[in-house]
Amino acid sequence: MIWVIWRQQRTETLIATLLLVLVAALLVPTGLHMASVYDSDGIAACVADPSDTCRQTLDSFASRWNTLLSFVGWLNLVPVLLGALLAAPLVLEFERGTFRLAWTQSVSRDRWLAMRIALVVAASLATGLFFTLLMTWWRDPLDDVSGPFSDAFDLEGIVPLSYTLFAAALVMALGVALRRAAAAIGLAFVLFLALRIGIGNWARPNYQGPIDAMWTEGASPDLRGAWIFRQGGEFRVADGQAPDPSVVQGCLTGPEIKSFDRECLADHGIQVVAHATYHPYSRFWLFQAIEAGIFVTMALALLAFSVWWIRRRIS
Amino acid sequence: MNPRPVVETDALGKRYGSLWALRDCSLAIPARSVVALVGPNGAGKTTLLHLLVGLSQPTVGEARVLGCSPRQQPSLVLPRVGFVAQDHPLYRGFTLAEMLKLGRKLNPRWDDDLAARRTAGLGIPLGKKVGTLSGGQQAQVALTLALAKRPDLLVLDEPVASLDPLARREFLQALMEAVADEGLTVILSSHIVAELERVCDHLVILAAGGVQLAGPIDELLRSHRILTGSRKDAAAVARTHAVIRESHTARQTTLFVRGNGAVAHPSWHVDEVGLEEIVLAYLGQQSARPATETALGLAS
Repeated sequence: MIWVIWRQQRTETLIATLLLVLVAALLVPTGLHMASVYDSDGIAACVADPSDTCRQTLDSFASRWNTLLSFVGWLNLVPVLLGALLAAPLVLEFERGTFRLAWTQSVSRDRWLAMRIALVVAASLATGLFFTLLMTWWRDPLDDVSGPFSDAFDLEGIVPLSYTLFAAALVMALGVALRRAAAAIGLAFVLFLALRIGIGNWARPNYQGPIDAMWTEGASPDLRGAWIFRQGGEFRVADGQAPDPSVVQGCLTGPEIKSFDRECLADHGIQVVAHATYHPYSRFWLFQAIEAGIFVTMALALLAFSVWWIRRRIS
Repeated sequence: MNPRPVVETDALGKRYGSLWALRDCSLAIPARSVVALVGPNGAGKTTLLHLLVGLSQPTVGEARVLGCSPRQQPSLVLPRVGFVAQDHPLYRGFTLAEMLKLGRKLNPRWDDDLAARRTAGLGIPLGKKVGTLSGGQQAQVALTLALAKRPDLLVLDEPVASLDPLARREFLQALMEAVADEGLTVILSSHIVAELERVCDHLVILAAGGVQLAGPIDELLRSHRILTGSRKDAAAVARTHAVIRESHTARQTTLFVRGNGAVAHPSWHVDEVGLEEIVLAYLGQQSARPATETALGLAS
C-alpha cells in the first residue's frame, strides 16, 4: 500500500525536490558570499554601534544585495509551486479516471484517500520546512542588520510551511471539484496570490495594534528588527507647541533640518521629539503564529472539503 | 452450482441532481453466467455497473453483490470483484511491472502466476510504460489486473468500445478463455451487439434508465418471433403473445412478439430472430414494459 501511494506521487515529489535543489543552487553560493562579506566588513561589530560610520557601513552592506534581493523576492512563489506539484497527482487521478481503478482494488477508498492526503500534507510540510530553513540561513547576515519582520516575514519562520500546505490544499480542493488539473492549478495560483497579498498588506499589520511611541532624546525604545510604518522627529517647546521657525533656523548648522546644534536649541527651550509607529521585534513570532494559523485553518477547511466532495460527490 | 444469484438488485435507482440515470432496476444474475448489458448511450449501463462495484451510492433501492452491499461492506465485496472501467484507466507513468506490483500490493487474492502468464502471452515487455501501449494492449493489461485478483465476479464497462476490430476480437478471445478457466460470472456492457453472442449467454437490455428485457440468450431467441400476416388477425395474436413492436403496410402487418413456448399460427408466416433484432426491437419500444418481471432466469 505504501509503495503504491509513494509511486503515485513519485514523479511530482521528485520535481518538487528538483525545484528546491535549484533554489538551493541560487541561495547557497550567494549566502556563503554574503556571510563572508559580513565577516570581512565587520558588520557584527557595527550592529551594536550607533556611530555614523557604522551606520554607513550597515547601509552599504544592506543595499549591496538589492539586485539579489529583488530576485529572491520571486521565491515567494516557491510555496505555491510546491503545493501545486504535490497536490497534482491526486487531481490527475480524478481527471483521468484512474480513481476508478484505485477504488476497485481490495483497499477501501477511505484508507486510500487518507494515505494519499497524508502523503501530500507530509510532503508539503517537509518541502516547506526545507525552504524556510534555507531562507533563514541565507538571510541570517541581512536579518542581523535589518531584521526579518518587514523584509522577509513571508520567507522565514513558520509561515512558508503554512503557505505550502495551504497551496496544496487549495489545488486539491479546486482539482477534485473541477476535475481538471490545469484549470485548478491556474485558479489556485490566482487565489493564492490574491490571499497572500491581501492578508500580507491589510490583515498582517493589524494582528495587534501598532505601537505609537514618542520620546525625547536618549529615551529611544528598542527599534532593532522592528517593523516600522512611520518614523520621524520634530522640534517642540516645553508647552508642546511648535517653536518659532526663525529660532530653529538660527540653530541649524547645515542646509538640512537634520543638522542642528543641540545646545543652541536647548538654550531656547526647544526639545527634539522623535516618534515612530511600529511593531517591535518581540511580536515577530506572535505574528508568525497568527498568520500561520490563518493559512493552516484555511488549509484544513479545504482538505475537509476535498474529503467530503470525494466521498459524497464523486461517482 | 450456487443457487444464490451473484448479483441482485431491487428497485435500484440513481439520480444525479434532478436527472435519473437509472430507475427501478431489478435484476438477478445467476452464478457462472456471462451477461451482456446492452443499451444506447445514456441508458444507465455505466451507472448500474458503478453501483455494483461500489463506486456509486444508490439513491434508492439496493444492490447485493455476492450477498453483500458493495458500498456498505466494501471489504467483503471488493476483493472478490474485478472491474475494468470504461476506457480502461491505468497509471500512464507506471511500467507494466509496476502496474502488476500495484495489483499485488492492493489485493490479498492476487495471483502472480496468472498475471505473469497473461502478460507473457501478450508479449509486452515488463519495463514498458503502460501509457505508451496501444489501446488494445492497455485493455488487455486492465483485464489482466482484474483477472489476477481471482474475482468471483468480473465487471467490464464497454471493454471493447474503443478498440479496433482486431484488438476487439483478441480481447473477447482472452475473456472467453478466462471464463472457461475460472468459471467466473461476468457482466459486460456494450452498445455493440454483434460480437457478444459468441461470448455471452445472458442478455440484459437497459434503456430509458430501466431494464427492458433480461434472460438467458437461448431462451430469448426461442421465445421471440417475427410474424408476418394480415392486419385483421393481429388482435388475436396480441391475446396470447406479448407484442413488442408492430408495423403495418397496406398489404401486410409485421409483429415482433414474445411468446409462451412455440409460436405457430396457421395464418402467419413465422421467422426466427437474431440477438441484434431482439435488442433493436426492445430499444425501439423504450420504457413500455414494467421492469418487475425481468429477473434473469425467470423468463421463458
